[in-house]
Amino acid sequence: MAFLEVKQVRFSYDAQTADAREVLHGVDLEIEEGEFVALLGHNGCGKSTMAKLFNGMLLPTAGKVLVGGLDTSLEENQLPVRKQVGLVLQNPDNQLVAGIVEEDVAFGPENLGVPPVEIRRRVDEALKAVEMYEYREHAPHKLSGGQKQRVAIAGIIAMETKCIVLDEPTAMLDPKGRGEVMGTIQKLNREKGITIVLITHYMDEAVQAGRVVVMDEGDILTSGTPRQVFQQVEFLKRHSLDVPQAAELVYRLGASGVKLPEIPLNEEECVAMLRRYLAGRAGALS
Amino acid sequence: MIADITLGQFFPGHSMLHKTDPRVKICLIIFHIVLIFTAGNFFSLGLVVLFTFLGMCVSKVPLKLYVKGLKPILFIVVFTAVLNIFYGTGEPLVQWGWLKITGNGILNALFVSVRIVLLIFTSSVLTFTTSPNQLTDAIERLLKPLSKLHVPVHEFAMMMTIALRFVPLLLEETDKIMSAQKARGADMESGGILQRIKALIPVLIPLFVSAFRRAYDLATAMESRCYHGGEGRTKMRVLKLGKQDVFILGAVALFLGAFLLLNLWLPPAILR
Repeated sequence: MAFLEVKQVRFSYDAQTADAREVLHGVDLEIEEGEFVALLGHNGCGKSTMAKLFNGMLLPTAGKVLVGGLDTSLEENQLPVRKQVGLVLQNPDNQLVAGIVEEDVAFGPENLGVPPVEIRRRVDEALKAVEMYEYREHAPHKLSGGQKQRVAIAGIIAMETKCIVLDEPTAMLDPKGRGEVMGTIQKLNREKGITIVLITHYMDEAVQAGRVVVMDEGDILTSGTPRQVFQQVEFLKRHSLDVPQAAELVYRLGASGVKLPEIPLNEEECVAMLRRYLAGRAGALS
Repeated sequence: MIADITLGQFFPGHSMLHKTDPRVKICLIIFHIVLIFTAGNFFSLGLVVLFTFLGMCVSKVPLKLYVKGLKPILFIVVFTAVLNIFYGTGEPLVQWGWLKITGNGILNALFVSVRIVLLIFTSSVLTFTTSPNQLTDAIERLLKPLSKLHVPVHEFAMMMTIALRFVPLLLEETDKIMSAQKARGADMESGGILQRIKALIPVLIPLFVSAFRRAYDLATAMESRCYHGGEGRTKMRVLKLGKQDVFILGAVALFLGAFLLLNLWLPPAILR
């Protein structure tokens, strides 16, 4: 049994009213413990709704979401589910509660009724894990976007959840902040074995995941390793989805007659591939 | 420009008063204010002045800052002093028609102005040495007994914490919206009061809309982090009375003894 199970989930906002619109049409998804999954899709495809379904902030209109075997739709499972699945939102300013970094990180464990000495230990550890320990006594509004988002992540780590769902955590950050946050996420997944569900529309972030799930119009379009998914440039483009820039370049070269053996995922691979290709050409010419 | 306003005017430092338990500080400050207003003769007033001054020195906050805090109140001090001079009872020293100045009036004016100044200094000692978060924390703990009477103490404290957290954010946002509206040709600096208030409407409406959006996000984040009210909640920071708290309490006890002695044994200098 997978850690996160989404079974035939349908979801509509305002389900009771006449103008209900369904945003998810029977989604099936399984995520194993320790996985790093990127959920891709363009705006309005239902990926943010998925994020809130994972920890029971929203409940499916039909179907089931199971977290470690617990049904999120049952009232008594609400807290146990949220103890296992933490949620990080897009806007770093709106999700910090307290006026001091370390007190904000302590907010989650305080809610869980953890003894004070243990909270202190968890807070210090969480802040060190996101490399924000030196800033523990700062006010959040004096930090940069990337730093704030890392504090928000530390707030979830301190609760010792098994899984962190991040809903476009880098959308409001500059490239530097984006790099910091992605580095932190990678590290948590590798070193602490925390399950990561990263919702994003940046292709170069999705490439870093172990598995990519592409959503379109309330359904899962395709999924697989980044390499498998981004090979299908044509297919993704038909659904007006982007591909990483390197993949795009090689795809276009292919269209104009320069055939490379496969689609690269990042700049380095692309450069290496082009270099090999050019060397081959030079060899053929001389 | 707006972001310069610092709420509570906390002045971070490591003095003895900074380390004192905020609950102790709140109680002592209230107690001290009562003493300031019961000091009836020059000796007890002098003692209160001395003690306030001592507190200001121990706080290690530059005296300049205290004086700065006095400026906006200066008008009130002068105003009440002048009123008191003319409202004294007893034999007039000088008299123009119905206006008269008596010795008692002058004394009254002196006492009132000294008291107001001391009041400002004393409360500044509290706000300068205690962070807003510590203050909320202390208030929550001091009011805890009230929760037995179903007063939502925890909820109030949580609201205060969140409000303090969002003050700088909303100020920053107001600044941004004002610039945005100015860039669109809004005029906020000319015209009469009425016109200026009207000019604020296009600032306030977007501010409110965004505040509601923030509140919705914040609620999601708080619930995701298992917030379910004050029940079964623990605190990372536990307030405990330490050595310096006992020391300060001792100093205050001595002060109180001296104060009572002076205030009761010596005759009052002003009539009430």
